[in-house]
Amino acid sequence: MTQPLLSIDDLHKSYGSEEVLEGVGLEMEQGDVTVLIGPSGSGKSTLLRCVNRLTEINSGRIALDGQDVTGTDTDVNELRKQVGMVFQDFNLFAHLTALENVTLGPKKVLGMDAADAEEAGRTHLEQVGLLEQADSYPAELSGGQKQRVGIARALAMDPELLLFDEPTSALDPELVGEVVEVMRDLAAEGITMLVVSHEMDFARSAASDIVFLDDGEIVEHGPPEQLFQNPTAERTEQFLSRLHAHEETA
Amino acid sequence: MSTAESTTSPNPGLRDRVGTVFTVRPLTVGLALFWVWVLARWTTDFVLAGVLGLDRGTPFVPAAPFLTTADTVASLAAPLGVAGAPLVWLADTLRFAADATAYLPALAHGIWTTVLLTVFSVCLGFTLALPLSVVRVYGGRWARWLALSYTELIRGTPLLAQLFVLYFATSLTQVLRGVPGVGVGFVPAQAFWVAVISFTLNSAAYQSEYLRASLESVDGGQLTAARAIGLSKLEGIRYVVVPQGLRLALPSWTNELVYLIKYSSLASFITVQELYGRTSTIANETYQYTELFVLVAILYLALVVSASALMDRVESHTATAGVGHTRQ
Ligand SMILES: Nc1ncnc2c1ncn2[C@@H]1O[C@H](COP(=O)(O)OP(=O)(O)O)[C@@H](O)[C@H]1O
Ligand SMILES: [Mg+2]
Repeated sequence: MTQPLLSIDDLHKSYGSEEVLEGVGLEMEQGDVTVLIGPSGSGKSTLLRCVNRLTEINSGRIALDGQDVTGTDTDVNELRKQVGMVFQDFNLFAHLTALENVTLGPKKVLGMDAADAEEAGRTHLEQVGLLEQADSYPAELSGGQKQRVGIARALAMDPELLLFDEPTSALDPELVGEVVEVMRDLAAEGITMLVVSHEMDFARSAASDIVFLDDGEIVEHGPPEQLFQNPTAERTEQFLSRLHAHEETA
Repeated sequence: MSTAESTTSPNPGLRDRVGTVFTVRPLTVGLALFWVWVLARWTTDFVLAGVLGLDRGTPFVPAAPFLTTADTVASLAAPLGVAGAPLVWLADTLRFAADATAYLPALAHGIWTTVLLTVFSVCLGFTLALPLSVVRVYGGRWARWLALSYTELIRGTPLLAQLFVLYFATSLTQVLRGVPGVGVGFVPAQAFWVAVISFTLNSAAYQSEYLRASLESVDGGQLTAARAIGLSKLEGIRYVVVPQGLRLALPSWTNELVYLIKYSSLASFITVQELYGRTSTIANETYQYTELFVLVAILYLALVVSASALMDRVESHTATAGVGHTRQ
C-alpha cells in the first residue's frame, strides 16, 4: 500500500469554546484533486489553515508524506515550503511586481540566487499566462490576473501540495474562467490540490474527490459523479440544491 | 497646485505660463540661490580658508554699496516728511543688509551645525524607531509595554526638559568630553553630541509612533501570505510589511524632519552654536533683534522648504501603485 501524501485523522479545532472542526479525517494521494464544499462557517478555511499550520490544532493528527505536521518540533517554515497556499483575496505583496512576488520565496526561503529565481519565476508566470505582466504591480492587474500571480507565487516554491481557499470568490464572474482554466491545467499536470471552491465547473471536470463539510464534520466524501448525482446524506442534498439555485440566479 | 489651476482656466496657455513664472520658478530659484550661497560659504570657510590660509568668514559681498544706497535713499526721504516713511524703511533695510553681510558667514556656520544636528538625529532616531515600532506591533506583551512606556515618556515630556536632564543632570557631558576626537577639528564639541543624543531619543519616540501606525495599516493578509511561502515572522515583517509601512510613513516622516529642523534650535540652550544660537548671540551684541530674527526665520524657512522638496522627490521616486496614496 502506498502511503498517502496527506493524511488527516480525527482533527479537532476550537476557537475559545466554539468547536469549529469536530474530528475531521481525510486522505489524499499524490495527484489527487480534492474539492472541499460546505456552507459558510463550516470550517473549510480553518481546515486548510491547519494543514500549513497558519492555525494550530487542538488534537488529532496531520501528516504530509508520512511526516508529522503538527508536532512542536516540526519546522513550520520547512513545512510551508512543501505546502503552497492560494488565498481568496490574493494577498499579493503590494510593493512588489508580479515577478518579484513570485521570486521572493525562492530567493529568501529556498536560497536561490536572483538570476535563477527570475528565470524560474518567468517560467511560472508563463505557466499562468502572465509573462507580459511580469513588471506590473498588483494594483495594476485585474482580479483574475492577481489570482494567477498568486498561483504562480505558490507554484514557484515547487510544493508537494497546493491549498486553494475560495480562489475565485472575490472575482467578477467574467474573470472566474481564466483562473479556473489555470487550475484545471495544474490538475491535469498531476499537481496535488486541496481546493475550497463552489465552482461546479471545476469540481465536475477536475476533481478526483468531493468532500462536503458541514458544521465541522465531513458529512460526505466521494467522487464528483456520485456526490453530485446521488448524494447519500440529506444535508448534502439540501446544500447542493441551494447551490444550484444560487448558480441559476447568478 | 499650478497644474490644478491651469486645468480649470479658460486660457490654459497663459495660466500655465503665469503659474510657472510666479509659483514654481521663484521658489526653485530662491532655494537654488540659498544652497549655492550655503555651499560656497562652507567650502570657502571649512576647506579653502584652511588650504589657502585665508581668514574664515570673509563676507562675499561688501557692505559699502548697501550703505551708499541707503544714504542716497535717506537723503531723498528727508524733504518728504511723513510721506517719506517707505523710503526711510527702505534705507533702514539697506543698512541692515549692510550689517547682514557681516553676519551671514556666521549664520552659514550655524546652518552647518543645524543641518548636522537634524540629519544625525533623524537618522539615528530612525534606526531606533524601526525596531521600536516593530516591537509595538508584533512584540510580546512585556516588550510591547516597554516600548509603549518609552514612547509615552518621551512624548509626554518637553524636549527642552529632556535636553536639560541629559546636559545638566547626567554625567553624559563629562563622558563625551573624554571621548578622543570630540571637539577636535571638524568634530563638534560635547554639547553638540548631547543634543544629538537627546534629539535622537526624542525623535525615535515620535518616529516609532508614525511607523507603528503605518505598520498597523498594512493589511494582515500580507504577513499571512509571507508566512505561507515559508518566510519566518521576522522575515515576513522585514521583506513584506516594513517596506510597505515605510512608504506609508513617508508623509509623516517629512513632518518629523521639518519639526526637528526647527526644534534643533533648542540646542542653543545648552551652548550649541547652531543657527538659532548664532543669531541670538549676534542679536545680543548688536541689539538688531527684529531684523536678525526676521533673517533667521527666512533661513529656517529655506531649510524647511528644501527638506519638504527633497522628501517630495523621495516620495515620488518610491511611489508604487497600490501602496499608500499615489499621485498620478
Ligand atoms: N481566527 C478565528 N478566531 C475565532 N473564530 C474563528 C477564527 N477563524 C474562524 N473562526 C470561526 O470558525 C468558524 C469556521 O470558520 P471558517 O473556517 O472560516 O469557515 P469557512 O471557511 O467554511 O467559511 C466560523 O464560525 C468562524 O467564525
Ligand atoms: Mg473560508
